[in-house]
Amino acid sequence: MEYAATGSTGYNFYDARGNLISVLSYARLMHDAQKTAKCLMGLGLKRGDNVAIIADTTPEFITLFFACRYAGVVPFAMPVPVNLGSHDIYVKQLRGMMSVSKATAAIANKEYISFLEEAVEGLGTIRWAGTLEGLMEMPESDQKIIRNQQEDVAYLQFTSGSTRAPQGVIVTEKAVMSNLRGIVRDGLRMYEDDRCASWLPFYHDMGLIGLVLSPLVSQMSVDFLRTRDFAVRPIQWLRLISKNKCTIAFCPPFGLELCAMRVRAADLEDLDLSSWRAAGIGAEMINPQILEAFAERFKSVGFNAKAFLPCYGLAEASLAVSFSEVGHGLEVMNVDTEVLADKGVAVRVESDSKKSNIFVNCGKALPEHDVIVVDDNGDSLPDLRVGRVLLKGPSIMSGYINDAEATQRVMKSGGWMDTGDLGYLSEGNIYLTGRHKDIIIINGRNIRAQDIEEIAEQQPEIRTRETSAFSVNDSNGKSTVVLVIENRLSSVEERQALISRVQRLVYNAFGVKCFVELVSPHTLPRTSSGKLSRAAACKGFLERTGFSNPQSAQADSYH
Amino acid sequence: MRDREEVTNKVSQFLEQIAGPDIQITPETNIAEELALDSVKVLDLLMELEDEFDVSVPLNLMADVQTVNDLVNLIEKTITDN
Repeated sequence: MEYAATGSTGYNFYDARGNLISVLSYARLMHDAQKTAKCLMGLGLKRGDNVAIIADTTPEFITLFFACRYAGVVPFAMPVPVNLGSHDIYVKQLRGMMSVSKATAAIANKEYISFLEEAVEGLGTIRWAGTLEGLMEMPESDQKIIRNQQEDVAYLQFTSGSTRAPQGVIVTEKAVMSNLRGIVRDGLRMYEDDRCASWLPFYHDMGLIGLVLSPLVSQMSVDFLRTRDFAVRPIQWLRLISKNKCTIAFCPPFGLELCAMRVRAADLEDLDLSSWRAAGIGAEMINPQILEAFAERFKSVGFNAKAFLPCYGLAEASLAVSFSEVGHGLEVMNVDTEVLADKGVAVRVESDSKKSNIFVNCGKALPEHDVIVVDDNGDSLPDLRVGRVLLKGPSIMSGYINDAEATQRVMKSGGWMDTGDLGYLSEGNIYLTGRHKDIIIINGRNIRAQDIEEIAEQQPEIRTRETSAFSVNDSNGKSTVVLVIENRLSSVEERQALISRVQRLVYNAFGVKCFVELVSPHTLPRTSSGKLSRAAACKGFLERTGFSNPQSAQADSYH
Repeated sequence: MRDREEVTNKVSQFLEQIAGPDIQITPETNIAEELALDSVKVLDLLMELEDEFDVSVPLNLMADVQTVNDLVNLIEKTITDN
């Protein structure tokens, strides 16, 4: 921060029409954050306390984030509401995060303060909740700002919107600094004259670590567009890149798809994307077709497909695990589908020969980090064998906040962490093939299967452990969330009412449509210990429905 | 300023396109529940409305929108506040 503040660079914020609405230089940020820190310290929080902040794309959020660090408290970003009619479930999600982290202060800007006030009601740990303006009216502490130590916790990152058991990743100063070094020096090879443009939300690791913190440590300017404004008019993001000659911009495949879909021919006229040298692609499985469609669409305005930079990361590793070679573009491997399914081995085939799966090269692990692939017994597998991806290195988290059980599940012996991803290695390069069945990734968002099941199980007609959620892909690679529920209802009306209600609740919580199948009791497969297996439930579902397109199969499930 | 009827018509017209001919759109139609718009469709709707009425609909207020009527009220309020 002190280094960044010596330059003239900083953050620029734009509105939905592309007008610059505010500028926060790094020098100003340091000044404001230190002043705000004094007020935070005046609240009587203890060092290491957790502080909740609703993270809209604003200068205020970034100021508060760093103010927390100067004050020796640990910030965590909470989402803004994104779904229609999501008021109640959103408040529960906020409360869940503050409750599990035992947050002692909570801050939101005035647009979101009413949600926050509702959420902190009855939370015993909260000593203060309010807006930044309210905070600045509090008396400043006369205590000195103390430098943070390497082992101090830098921030928490929540990875799921569960109302009951959200998981907050604990990241230390040492871990995040090591990761930032990897991103800036090795992954992106940032230069002085690089400039970023981003619409990624500040409450996601890619948005916060990748496009707020890493530009700061390398003294680069960033042009921000709010996520919502991008989603409605993705052209505005491309215009920012074009107008400001930005060189680095990251996007999940879903965002590229939005661009290709919504941008009109007339929008291309005064666009010039030739400055864009690193188009980082991550956060969800990469479908090469989406990248190809984007490159084709924007080739005429100077977009160079060599700029595609597939990468791999997760909040549990601060952010980045690996980057492909910058400037090389997309590199894929065509793999025999049958051999992959039967033997779990990636066998290279010619692209147009047999039925094949295409996997993307996500590059080699960052320096000082190691990736291995293991089988279910934890034994290391050779190249091209598919298994669980484990990671070791200085960037990995210390664990999940106040959740020893979840931490134990992923932290293995020897300093290895289970990423939850499946994949294989080839000459050190990482190829991801999927997730363990308990995470559903849809439109760039991670949704835990158990969070969807939890919503269903809260219904009076549904018993706990009689539901199973997973995602299925149709022939176009489009994911759909499926929820199978064991149920005794016999009337068509009651069944239909239950399906609609569960669909609405899942929609309110996650903004996705889900396909609900009601089945009779004892249909869902269980393991010998009585546990439900989502993988087996998915297999059973596919066999019953012969499913390839959930929308058309929907009518059948009502009977 | 645009009148309420115009806003209602535009919203209904857009929702009818998405919902198909079998569903009657009334002021009480619950957008999330009965029409099951996914997040991309919601954005399409927003883009249309914002372009038409030259407003920016605040996200924090979308969380309280359930019915067509709620949405019309919100758009109307946003236009007035402009």
